[in-house]
Amino acid sequence: MVCIRQATIDDLLAMQACNLMCLPENYQMKYYLYHMLSWPQLLFVAEDYGGRIVGYVLAKMEEDPSEPCHGHITSLAVLRSHRKLGLATKLMSAAQAAMDQVFGAEYVSLHVRRSNRAAFNLYTSTLGYQIHDIEAKYYADGEDAYDMRKPLREPQPKKHHHHHHHHHGPGGCCSHDAPPAASNSPEKKTGS
Amino acid sequence: MGSSLPAKEANLFKVIVKSYETKQYKKGLKAADSILKKFPEHGETLSMKGLTLNCMDRKSEAYELVRRGLKNDLKSHVCWHVYGLLYRSDREYREAIKCYRNALRIDPDNIEILRDLSLLQAQMRDLSGFVETRQQLLSLKPNHRMNWIGFAVAHHLNSNSSKAIEVLEAYEGTLEDDYPPENERYEHNEMLLYKISLLEECGMLDKALEEMHKKEGKIVDKLSFKEQMACILLKLGRFEEAEKIYKSLLFMNPDNYKYFIAVQKCLGLYSENGQYSADDVDRLRALYKSLKEEYGWSSAVKRIPLDFLEGEKFQEAADTYVRPLLTKGVPSLFSDLSPLYEHPGKANILEELFLKLEESIRTSGCFPGSPHMEPPSTLLWTLFLISQHYDRRGQYDIALDKIDEAISHTPTVIDLYSTKGKILQHAGNFSAAAALADEARSMDLADRYLNSECVMQMLQADQVGLAEKTAVLFTKDGDQHNNLHDMQYELASGESYYRQGDLGRALKNFLAVEKHYADMTEDQFDFHSYCLRKMTLRAYVSMLKFQDRLHAHEYFHKAAAGAIRCYMKLHDSPAKSSTEENDEMSKLPPAQRKKLRQKQKKAEARAKREAEEKQEDEATSSNTSKSGKKQNARPVDLDPHGEKLVQIEDPLAEGTKYLKLLQNNSSDSIETHTLSFELNMRKQKILLAFQAVKHLIRLDENNPDSHRCLIRFFHKINNLPSPGTDSEKLIWNVLEAERPDLRQLHGKSLVEVNRSFLEKHNASLAHRAAAAEMMYLLGPDKKLEAIKLIEDSVNSTASGNGVLGPVKEWDIQDCIDVHKLLETIFGDQDVANSWKARCAEYFPYSTYFEGIKSASAAYCSVNSVEDSSENGVVNGTVHIVDELRELSIR
Repeated sequence: MVCIRQATIDDLLAMQACNLMCLPENYQMKYYLYHMLSWPQLLFVAEDYGGRIVGYVLAKMEEDPSEPCHGHITSLAVLRSHRKLGLATKLMSAAQAAMDQVFGAEYVSLHVRRSNRAAFNLYTSTLGYQIHDIEAKYYADGEDAYDMRKPLREPQPKKHHHHHHHHHGPGGCCSHDAPPAASNSPEKKTGS
Repeated sequence: MGSSLPAKEANLFKVIVKSYETKQYKKGLKAADSILKKFPEHGETLSMKGLTLNCMDRKSEAYELVRRGLKNDLKSHVCWHVYGLLYRSDREYREAIKCYRNALRIDPDNIEILRDLSLLQAQMRDLSGFVETRQQLLSLKPNHRMNWIGFAVAHHLNSNSSKAIEVLEAYEGTLEDDYPPENERYEHNEMLLYKISLLEECGMLDKALEEMHKKEGKIVDKLSFKEQMACILLKLGRFEEAEKIYKSLLFMNPDNYKYFIAVQKCLGLYSENGQYSADDVDRLRALYKSLKEEYGWSSAVKRIPLDFLEGEKFQEAADTYVRPLLTKGVPSLFSDLSPLYEHPGKANILEELFLKLEESIRTSGCFPGSPHMEPPSTLLWTLFLISQHYDRRGQYDIALDKIDEAISHTPTVIDLYSTKGKILQHAGNFSAAAALADEARSMDLADRYLNSECVMQMLQADQVGLAEKTAVLFTKDGDQHNNLHDMQYELASGESYYRQGDLGRALKNFLAVEKHYADMTEDQFDFHSYCLRKMTLRAYVSMLKFQDRLHAHEYFHKAAAGAIRCYMKLHDSPAKSSTEENDEMSKLPPAQRKKLRQKQKKAEARAKREAEEKQEDEATSSNTSKSGKKQNARPVDLDPHGEKLVQIEDPLAEGTKYLKLLQNNSSDSIETHTLSFELNMRKQKILLAFQAVKHLIRLDENNPDSHRCLIRFFHKINNLPSPGTDSEKLIWNVLEAERPDLRQLHGKSLVEVNRSFLEKHNASLAHRAAAAEMMYLLGPDKKLEAIKLIEDSVNSTASGNGVLGPVKEWDIQDCIDVHKLLETIFGDQDVANSWKARCAEYFPYSTYFEGIKSASAAYCSVNSVEDSSENGVVNGTVHIVDELRELSIR
């Protein structure tokens, strides 16, 4: 029904459109480019039979050397019209697997609105995330975020692949990061 | 740098440079000023001071200082470099390149400047220059990885992949055997995969494979590795090996269609256009049957066979496919099936199937032949599916019946209301559609998707103000301009303003979209150096290619086309102020008109004041934050309604700018060339208009608009006075020479050309309308005959009748176009009215045709009205609310 595949550069505009359709946290195109050109393995899309992008996951590696190597889900969205297909789960599993295999991430983190019960349930009961911390007033409208984590390296319970049943969690939206305040793209190198 | 200064000042100069690099501009400024106290005309200091001020948003001073600095020290590479940096910051790349080149003339081996130059060359796609600069950088600093990689990428971009491979191999030769260390594994992996993709690109497939086997241990991106290997094996015709890898990929991700298609290719069972012989279909069926056993949890493996199966087999497969999804209640089921409606005959089979399922659930509570009782929701989702089916077939009556039944079955399912809105939209009642979408939205105010859908419906219904208020509910801090990158919104709102005749606001929106694309082009700049460090070279090269075709993207095309239409309208009837307001105003008595004008002026002044205050607030708050979050400070929009945009001197010249972008990037679009035709006819550019005609004929000679342009063009030419000036004669000669190449015109008069076009497309309304219009153009005395041609058109039944009644062929938009044609070109109100009455019967929901079922109120259920005051948006649906009150009283 819906194809899950790695995103290409040609998907970015559609991913942005999907994000604007579903979520209040929006990003400039440069931020999508930054992800694509830094960790091309960590972007996945859900494409419906007519070729329309109906969901995506935008993820990154945190590169702060003071912390252990870990991935971070920047944003995940699935159109409301395409819920109940387990797309969010499939997209997340794909990104997490790539973090683990390509970058050797020890764990993966994400932010979610406290009020977003549907997304919270998906992360906890289906995907095995746990609350690590609460970030007060993380979002622009003053709402708190749960800072959630899931270990990737510890004894893996089981591979996701072969399941038949998927949790049919959140409807449309599972939001994440507040947009970066300053442009979060590659640092400008200047000077003479 | 800082030469010719005494030691103390020379040190201070270093401080300026350092401060600039670390963005401590105030500190740099202080240092510059203390040098200038002693040496007020020191060129390099003046330049650096200018560059520093440039970063503090003091542009004009910056240019003045940098230019003065350069004048004082023309032999300084620093001054030239700074001048280049200044131009670069203003995106004047060509100028910047010139400056860098001057700097390099003085200091040919300056690494900084060479690097900056190479970035601009990449940005401007000066590829041979890029190769040259990267070569120089490599020979100056061969111990830097980035210089090797940069040189290789430059060759690749300059279409010399084999040279790029050589460079990469030479680079690899400099590495130790145990390379890479743990922390560079990813980067090295990317380099290797890049090299393999280059080998593949050059057709060196065996070499690529060999390389893959050799380097497998160093490649951490196993997914790319497998995909690439399978792809190469497939190209080499090593099908069995390829198939094996694709199957293992399917095991990892059974939801990737591409792998299934690839497996088909490995078995020689793939056809681009989806046409298969009966024998192939049998083999495909067997293939998917076995794949289904292996990948039972894949949904693709069940869906794909619906594409190639036909007839009874198709019905069986569709039956098996939809049942569990109906039981589960998957809202996207119809959209998943909808591509099948393009296959001849399948829509009818699906219709029969759906009705059979519905009947069975109603009577027995089970699917046909199944002993299992279905949950009550199965009927709901079946009705939902059937409703969308009839919507798709244009049978809106039945579609609405079914969706209404679904709504009364379970009134809490939001999707039903959205879908009902869409049906009404397709049936031609936009305000009812918007009301329904608003109802859906009010059922879950936290869901932005419902909000977005509602906003789009409101824009379609030309409720722009309301749409804006609704959209704002999801843009932070109530700033309505915050969803600045929402191009879909801007496009829809531009189109709505255009329909309403507000060209200023329309242009404002279209140009905003255009600006996003300019920004995206700009966005790539920082990545030229970034990606060389990150080594994400495959992604980088595909990003450059993406940028090169950026302006072919759909949104850009729509925005440019919209802007061109606005400019043509402005040319045809130059703007006074806002047309719409004038229309409104002209109906008022003069005293009131004056009052209204004053009121408007006051409101505008207030808006401007507010905007400026806000701006100041933002500026102060961002100044206090330490890192200078400059991007938050938006300049005051001095022309919020696009009034200046419509006061433009030469709208056609402005339109031509956008037309060129369309011609360069969307040359396969009919619309590009009809716009070119219209624009160039207005500009009296005969040969360019002729080019457009030729493109149209090449793309689709059967398109009604192609036909119109062809006839209109030669009709105009035939009626021109004989050429007087030399240039006119020249044009004439060109046309005479080209004319025989147009097959359509061979030995025929235009009347005959028109007649044979009509004969060929006799059954199509749109074609008949085009032929009638041209008949009238060619012979004004044929007006009645032309009108009769339109009136005699028959809305016949589409091939393959549905179970529940005939599917009519005519498209509502075609009928609206014909109505407009009768009203404007033919200027016959009576005929237009009777056409309207006729269409009102075909499209009873259409507000345009004022069909009997087009009153909005009837389609909005009462319970939404009660909530509508809570959800923040009230104005604008008021009239519907009032009508509903009346209804509920009765």
